[in-house]
Amino acid sequence: MQSDELTLYGKTFTSRFLLGTALYESPEQMRDSVSASGAEIVTLGLRRQNPSAGDGERFWQHIRETGCTLLPNTAGCKSVKEAVNLAQMSRELFDTDWVKLEVIGDDYNLQPDPFALLEATQELISQGFKVLPYCTDDLILCQKLVEAGCQVLMPWGAPIGTGRGLLNRYALKALRERFNCPLVVDAGLGAPSQAAEAMEMGYDAVLLNTAVAKAQNPPLMAKAFAGAIKSGREAYLAGLMQTRQTASPSTPTIGQPFWHQQKT
Amino acid sequence: MTASFPKLTSDANIGIAGAGLLGKLLAWRLSTAGFRVSLFDAASMSNPQCAAHTAAGMLAPISEAAESGPEVYTMGVYGLERWSQWLNELGTNAATCIHQNGSLLVAHPQDENELHQFLADTHKLRAEPGCSIQQVQSAELQQLEPDLSRQFQKGLLLSPEAHLDNRQLLQHLHEQLSLPQVSIYENTSVSAEPFCIKNKNTAERHTFDLVLDCRGVGARETLANLRGVRGETLHLETTEVILNRPVRLMHPRYQLYIVPKPDHRFVIGATQIESEDTSPISLQSSLELSSAVYTLAPAFAEARIVEAGVNLRPAFANNLPSVTDQPGLITANGLYRHGYLLAPAVVDHVMDVIQHTCQSPFGTLFKSPNNCSSNTTNLSSEPVYE
Repeated sequence: MQSDELTLYGKTFTSRFLLGTALYESPEQMRDSVSASGAEIVTLGLRRQNPSAGDGERFWQHIRETGCTLLPNTAGCKSVKEAVNLAQMSRELFDTDWVKLEVIGDDYNLQPDPFALLEATQELISQGFKVLPYCTDDLILCQKLVEAGCQVLMPWGAPIGTGRGLLNRYALKALRERFNCPLVVDAGLGAPSQAAEAMEMGYDAVLLNTAVAKAQNPPLMAKAFAGAIKSGREAYLAGLMQTRQTASPSTPTIGQPFWHQQKT
Repeated sequence: MTASFPKLTSDANIGIAGAGLLGKLLAWRLSTAGFRVSLFDAASMSNPQCAAHTAAGMLAPISEAAESGPEVYTMGVYGLERWSQWLNELGTNAATCIHQNGSLLVAHPQDENELHQFLADTHKLRAEPGCSIQQVQSAELQQLEPDLSRQFQKGLLLSPEAHLDNRQLLQHLHEQLSLPQVSIYENTSVSAEPFCIKNKNTAERHTFDLVLDCRGVGARETLANLRGVRGETLHLETTEVILNRPVRLMHPRYQLYIVPKPDHRFVIGATQIESEDTSPISLQSSLELSSAVYTLAPAFAEARIVEAGVNLRPAFANNLPSVTDQPGLITANGLYRHGYLLAPAVVDHVMDVIQHTCQSPFGTLFKSPNNCSSNTTNLSSEPVYE
């Protein structure tokens, strides 16, 4: 098979699996899981670590040692100002202009605030950031994010940490049909089959954390997701057959001798 | 690290750096065994700064193993048994510092899946001897904890679990150390080397037959792969609520517990933040802690916040303890969030190494490379000296 690379903001990757680094039993388990996932991009959150003082350094070192491209996120930020400040701090700490932009609008299900997200995106892009926005599956929001300069969109499958899979297939399919830029399903996936489904739909990559970190064997679950993502991608490239209203036998049965034999 | 750790004479002189839980316990065990002991700590004994002072003192092998793996259960069950023996040895006052009433896990009705997740996470553990997890319904919940909010309809009772009055316990331990064979150096910040403890301020050197480094996060300067994990707690005081056992609130994003203490006090803990930040408690954390406790029992609303604790848990890459030895120096560290639970296993193992008794069941656990799959050396689980 010819090479099938994922390109995000001009950087190419062979893996289509982006993994989060939170919620593991230990840094060692996190590293084992990243390694088993084959992920080349990992996300990390800094909001509560007092990043301006660099107090998370020993933990960040574990994340750096994965050798992956770092994608700092703004998890936990609820306003434009918080998100912009944290993105600036992350850029200094990790020497990267990439940011997974999250601006949370609802405390209970961690739903993104689309209005604040768009405003923060515009501000960060004007400051030279490469923004990967965590957004809802709303078409108009996604259009405006692309107009603002986003070259990647990361709509949710379901709210963060719920493991409910692709709740709105119609909307996710509509986004795929309407946008040529890379699309990443971010958040809400609980099972590898759900990740495969997203990839079969033509999504370019999958980002998750809880489903792996909270599995009883996280490295094994990371491997399971990696396999599903690869399968789903290959299925998309191979071209899924169209479903049909009625069953159609693959060979005509009429006139075939001994066709009653299958009953015995 | 060596298998042929030299045996000490019975009157050997041992220096201990760090008077936290491990340091104090080892000083007690070693002085009781007849050794001469010098105990150093950067803080004063009347105003301890150790993680054991900030901790809530739960002995929760099942709940902790659900998050941290089966090793913690094995060491924790051992620890539970050892604490009962030790507290009896420490005297009648100390013996009342342990409460073996189990612990209770509850979840809001909308979060009841968290209880199912806990049962799934402990599925293998339940085959272990003594691992009892009992599902309780609302009537039984109210019988166990009458002051708990009526909104909780389901819970899990972990009857083998216990909790300690940890500050009283530390005090009893400290009283045991006022023996002629124990010298205490407080307000003395030190570094630990083989056969030598050095005062960081005066550069004065104290030489010993053996040095034990139990400085917790204080040993970060020499242990490159040790990190601190921030934890925040609130201490409340109220006569309006009585709890008979620790109660853990299972929530999709955080797990918080409340532990009853003597004199109508309660400790709520603890946040877990991957940072070595020791600045005061954040508003976000205090909101999480206080809203959790308020939903458990709304009568906590008028409790007084008498203290907000912040400290760092010492942890290696696998979040499990490690004991290493070389001639003249034993290092014991990395008890992470399991200080009281795992201290007996660590202390008995260190005593075993010193006394050549070969009884510690945990030798391989502490000395193995801790299943670290990584090839890089400076972040593996074994301590690395800089």
